[in-house]
Amino acid sequence: MKNNFSHIGLIFFVLIGVVPFGAAFIYALLYSFGVVGVLNTGFTLQYWETVIASGEVFKSFGYSALVAGISVVISVSIALWLALHFRKEFEKKFLSYMIYLPLAIPGVVAAFFTFQLFTKAGFFSRIVYNLGWINEARYFPDLVNDQLAIGIIITFITVVMPFFVLLFLNVYKNERLDKLSELAHSLGASSKEVLWKVSLPVILRKTWNLIALYFIFLLGAYEIPLILGQESPQMLSVLIVREIKQYDLNKISEGYAVAIFYTIVVTLIVSFIFTRKNKTLHEI
Amino acid sequence: MKFNWKPYILTLLVLLILFPFVYMVLLSMSSEWRFPEILPSYFGLKNWLKILSSDTGIFSSFFISVSISLSVATVSTLSGFFISRSVAYHPKKKALTLLTYFPYILAPVVFAACLSYFFLKMGLFGNITGIIVAQFMITFPYALIFFSSFWNERTRNLEDLVATLGGNTLQTYVKMLFPIAKGMLLICFFQTFLISWFEYGLTSIIGVGKVQTLTIKVFLFIKEANFYYGALSCCLLIFPPVVLLYLNKKYVFNKLI
Repeated sequence: MKNNFSHIGLIFFVLIGVVPFGAAFIYALLYSFGVVGVLNTGFTLQYWETVIASGEVFKSFGYSALVAGISVVISVSIALWLALHFRKEFEKKFLSYMIYLPLAIPGVVAAFFTFQLFTKAGFFSRIVYNLGWINEARYFPDLVNDQLAIGIIITFITVVMPFFVLLFLNVYKNERLDKLSELAHSLGASSKEVLWKVSLPVILRKTWNLIALYFIFLLGAYEIPLILGQESPQMLSVLIVREIKQYDLNKISEGYAVAIFYTIVVTLIVSFIFTRKNKTLHEI
Repeated sequence: MKFNWKPYILTLLVLLILFPFVYMVLLSMSSEWRFPEILPSYFGLKNWLKILSSDTGIFSSFFISVSISLSVATVSTLSGFFISRSVAYHPKKKALTLLTYFPYILAPVVFAACLSYFFLKMGLFGNITGIIVAQFMITFPYALIFFSSFWNERTRNLEDLVATLGGNTLQTYVKMLFPIAKGMLLICFFQTFLISWFEYGLTSIIGVGKVQTLTIKVFLFIKEANFYYGALSCCLLIFPPVVLLYLNKKYVFNKLI
């Protein structure tokens, strides 16, 4: 009886957790090779060749990876600094609630907020104008929809960094780093040595999988780059949706080719992360 | 005497955390806030009162979002709880868990774009049911991963003990498993509710603009350059999660790590 119950559970797992992903992947693959699709007539490599020749996907991938990488590095650095310097203060009742508050802000709201603050007629532009530093709104620097993705990076940091602070605080507590630090001190280590040789290695080794996962999440972020990004290069998800959902039916196959490329790259990264030492997320 | 800079940094941090909340409320209560004014020329409840009476659709969007998120959270929490047992006790647990991560890690919007053909064929395109099904495909793997740590050796021993004492499957769940998993069920419900509540990309593709959840509404107002209503929608989007976070903050991260 119990065995039957377990089998039913597995069947549902495959139906809900595996089949949709497999179906989506196979459909996109077939579409990218011209096997299915409105105007497609049969197997062709034409769409892949076009995608590779245009180079937009590589540009977009590089751009997305750079933006996600910079955001993660800055977020982790600030979060580490905050967690290590204000650990005791964050345990107090008021602050312990305060540090959770940013988690209530979704990406779309964070992007809207950044847009309101940093646009040419935004809040900071008004302050700078009233201080007499600029004469017109157009002299305010491009901080949203800009070439350097400053708006996107700022928003990514504000969205991701609070999570890392909470994560590092918990790791510090669970790994009893205060005791380890005390021990290192009593063995003659300086504060700097305790930081660089005890606290940081333990925290980073314990959390690097999650940091890598957050890099992947940011790589595929959609709504924030959609509001704060520029026309070209676009971040990957925005590019894929733009290609798949546009009116030029010939371009749809190219969109699916980019989606397949993205899926394969992310799959390889995730497989590498989780097969390394056979660790899964909750075993970290 | 050494200068103590910590209180200043902490004060700045608290101000930075509160700033978006205050700014959104301020913006939602403003109108005619033109460049270069630092403060709005009108500040009051006009916009908030309008959403109750006019056809802005914010209020209906709020209820659509609540019903979608409640449905998604309920179904994914319960199915995740039951199905994760089969996965966790399976000899190939690690491979199955790895499979679980993919739909969750892949950008939901890309997943939805690739799945949209099947939704169209099944008549799930542009309606609430379609969005619930699509969001469920993202929240279900989360619930599965979340509960996988619950099904450990201790739980298995307890199940065996109930069976030895003559309990059937129903009694095992009702009298033993549900009571000990109560806290985790609640946290998973909150988390999946938030994933659904915050979702935009997937909802916009499967809903094709016909189902206007609050996140879709925010985008529409941004496109229309109606920032006051946009901020108002943001406020409605932010405050339920604030309450939920307050309720479960004690449990969330200890369970995640």
